[in-house]
Amino acid sequence: MSEINITVTVNGTKINANVKPEMNLLKFLRSQGFYDVKCGCEMGDCGTCTVIFNGSSVKSCITLAAQADGGTVWTNKGLGEVDELTQKLQKAFVEHGSIQCGFCTPGMIIAGKAYIEKGGKPDRNEIKKAISGNLCRCTGYKKIVDAIYDVAEQMSK
Amino acid sequence: MKNFSFVNVENKADALEVLHREKEKSCLVAGATNVMPFIRYEKINDKTLINIRNLQELRFIREEEDKIEIGPLTTIYDLENSEIIEKYAPALREAAQDFADPTTRNSATIGGNIANASPAADTATPLLALNAVVVAESKSGVRKIPIQEFFLGVNKTALQCDELITVIEVPKNAANSNSCFIKLGLRNAMAISVVSVAAGVELAEGKVAHANVALGSVAPTPVRAKTVEAALVGKEFTPGLVEETAKLVTEDISPIDDVRASGEYRKTVAAVLVKRALKKSGKI
Ligand SMILES: Cc1cc2nc3c(=O)[nH]c(=O)nc-3n(C[C@H](O)[C@H](O)[C@H](O)COP(=O)(O)OP(=O)(O)OC[C@H]3O[C@@H](n4cnc5c(N)ncnc54)[C@H](O)[C@@H]3O)c2cc1C
Repeated sequence: MSEINITVTVNGTKINANVKPEMNLLKFLRSQGFYDVKCGCEMGDCGTCTVIFNGSSVKSCITLAAQADGGTVWTNKGLGEVDELTQKLQKAFVEHGSIQCGFCTPGMIIAGKAYIEKGGKPDRNEIKKAISGNLCRCTGYKKIVDAIYDVAEQMSK
Repeated sequence: MKNFSFVNVENKADALEVLHREKEKSCLVAGATNVMPFIRYEKINDKTLINIRNLQELRFIREEEDKIEIGPLTTIYDLENSEIIEKYAPALREAAQDFADPTTRNSATIGGNIANASPAADTATPLLALNAVVVAESKSGVRKIPIQEFFLGVNKTALQCDELITVIEVPKNAANSNSCFIKLGLRNAMAISVVSVAAGVELAEGKVAHANVALGSVAPTPVRAKTVEAALVGKEFTPGLVEETAKLVTEDISPIDDVRASGEYRKTVAAVLVKRALKKSGKI
């Protein structure tokens, strides 16, 4: 079981490490200190590990770390430092009280960002579909939908 | 036991070379949405993971004279957003819209979906109704597998261990352009289907010229509703005919009881979905 050497640019910084061939991208990111990427179900069901990988939102638990070799990854925290849309979403989540325990928040924000970037409108039903791969066990979703709606409305003006 | 190794391939020729070398140890990895859970639950072990995710040359949707060609690395997101698919294979587009959730759709590929061969694979049911052809390539050559012969059982296909799906072909014809897909799940999003139906009919002067009906999650593989199809062809396409023939679907399926539904329920609901899909496709 030989380890393989990979280089991944995470939040703008190049990271070089040895990984097991079967390691998922989630475990790799956390092993490198990116603890804002949460580990929930590790089956692709809960969505809290969602990151932007080579420009698309993906669930990092069902992506191989080795597949990210030579690629770029952005996490919610990294995006919050440079990306205006993510900053707007983070602010809206705070203002709308969309965070209770906070465990689902990083994935929800990235799902919201992916929705708005693909031209998503302030439409509650569509927003619900956009976050259908992200589970929240506290809020009942309403406030999360409110926050994404608010930002979608700001962006469509 | 784990014991995996990993190879990244940059082009199709490389992929075929590695498949030839690794044979039974080969495990192609595209979007990884099936492979990763399999690794986690040790359903697979001791494999050479061959990464084809970056094979952009196999990610395409092309229109040819008499067919459309879909590259296996085409994601479910791509299917959902393609005008060619919308025009010539709407059943496939509707299946893509109901598939998993938007994030998973960015990774999941059509090639991975059919090669994984789940009885509930959401692109398999439409491809079966559309009479698709799977083009498989290995170092020894290229062969075309009609989709009717592709699925052999749960997670079993006609592919050899050194073969790569390189194209999925869908004929251009009126039945395919009229096709539609209906999935019944336990909820509206992120649900594995309880029953799925794809149907495409072509009418000529009010009569059924062609009728293609396929179902998912009602047998070990997706199946064609041959009894229903035979009962439709040549007849006047009326709500009464559809009502009567849809019931015959119970002859074509062998659903089991599982965590999502009982076999009895699946039979009842399959007839209803076949009726709805036929009406939608024939616009009555
Ligand atoms: C949260 C979640 C929700 C899901 N929801 C659905 C759903 O609603 N409907 C549904 O149908 N499925 C669903 N799935 C299953 C899965 O996402 C799909 O089957 C997906 O299309 C698999 O594609 P992939 O590219 O990720 O395949 P991978 O996991 O990369 O590969 C799957 C299999 O296909 C083989 N393979 C891949 N590409 C090729 C090729 N070109 N030639 C030959 N063999 C190949 C691989 O070796 C492997 O055996 C879901 C999965 C998850 C995790």
